[in-house]
Amino acid sequence: MSDEHIVKSYDEELQHLNDSLVQMGSLTEKLLHDSMNAITTVDKDAVSKIVESDAKINKFRSSIDQHIMTILVKRSPVAIDLRYAISTLKISQDLERIGDLAKGNAKKILPLPDDLPPEMLKRIESLGEMVQTQLKSTLDCFIEKSVQKSLDTIKRDEQVNDLATASIKEVLEFLSKDKKNLDFATNLLFVCKNLERAGDHLSRICQNVHYLIEGDYPEK
Amino acid sequence: MELENKREAKVISKNIDVFYGDKQALFGIDLEIYKNEVTALIGPSGCGKSTFLRCINRMNDVIDICKITGEIEIDNFNIYKPDVDVVRLREKVGMVFQKPNPFPKSIYDNIAYGPSIHGIAKDKNEMDQIVETSLQKAALWNEVKDRLNEPGTGLSGGQQQRLCIARAISINPEIILMDEPCSALDPIATAKIEELIDSLKSSFTIVIVTHSMSQAARVSQRTGFFHLGKLIEMGETEKIFKNPNNTMTQDYITGRFG
Repeated sequence: MSDEHIVKSYDEELQHLNDSLVQMGSLTEKLLHDSMNAITTVDKDAVSKIVESDAKINKFRSSIDQHIMTILVKRSPVAIDLRYAISTLKISQDLERIGDLAKGNAKKILPLPDDLPPEMLKRIESLGEMVQTQLKSTLDCFIEKSVQKSLDTIKRDEQVNDLATASIKEVLEFLSKDKKNLDFATNLLFVCKNLERAGDHLSRICQNVHYLIEGDYPEK
Repeated sequence: MELENKREAKVISKNIDVFYGDKQALFGIDLEIYKNEVTALIGPSGCGKSTFLRCINRMNDVIDICKITGEIEIDNFNIYKPDVDVVRLREKVGMVFQKPNPFPKSIYDNIAYGPSIHGIAKDKNEMDQIVETSLQKAALWNEVKDRLNEPGTGLSGGQQQRLCIARAISINPEIILMDEPCSALDPIATAKIEELIDSLKSSFTIVIVTHSMSQAARVSQRTGFFHLGKLIEMGETEKIFKNPNNTMTQDYITGRFG
């Protein structure tokens, strides 16, 4: 395929869309990282900054929406360009949701109980790291437009799910030992669940990258 | 897949080459056009799509330097056999052109002309019926029923084009060829013609040449992309416009070359 349209401004509009989505992705990466950091270090001061970052991501999403609408109206895109517009629309929605989940997690910060088993926190940290790695490789899929990377990333979501299930089980065991930890454990359950959901959104992004390149969704 | 099985090829082009003098305009065109469907032919100017369209009713025969080899079968009958009566063929395969070209006659006579020379109507009553039915099928009857004796050339561009479609269908063709039928019309008149094309496909097989990608996407079930006299890709319209197989098709429809 030729890279360039006859109409140069069309290329510029698509490039702008690409750049906006990549920027939105890197903001989401930072937000997810800051959110996990705030939870594990019980840094309540970080929350307001995280809320601000999430608002910025939301703004990116609505600006991308508007930009895609403009492209649809002006260019009536077809084939790869149409798939590009549709996919980026969906990808920006998923990134926004990941931002919301990360913000939601940060808002659940509570002091760590004295009797918290250190390996439990370690496991949740690992879950957070795994989701962050998944986010990084998802963004790489989009930037490189790589079908293989998108398939590999989708496959690795199973590991996220397994670790999330193990973490949830561990938190429930911790809770069952002493009901005084109810609030903390409940919040931690949400954190695990939200991270697992973030992983699902990342898989969806990879499916949309696959659709963008191949014109169909990967087989489940 | 089930849909594919029910489809019946109305027109089959087998290895059609067209030459204008020394210049070859079409190269080995193989394709099928399905019955009661709209097939769109797209491609840049000079790609051969109109030349191919004109092969289907042997309109190229009227050009002295034009030579055609290969076969076009309509209902499994090769229309390029030497003994084919082209007048009968064109009765079966009607044509509508880019610019509306009503005869300088009344609206009524525009429609009645074809049936009268082909001896289709037995009497005046039958002719009245044909005129009314043709105009109704062309979605023009309500607009002209009270002024059938006024000149066809006095109608608006869109109405004139529908008059030409009514004229084409008045002799009961099986196939209607349309060569950029909306390129001279405004968006409203275009929408009316597109709506008409959609309703006509239940009775006719339609082949339309268009420069409008969105029109091809809207009106047709299958689309063929021509480039430099070759058929590059032919397939389901949805597939062509969502995810074409050929890079050249993609480059053309997305505006990367023209």
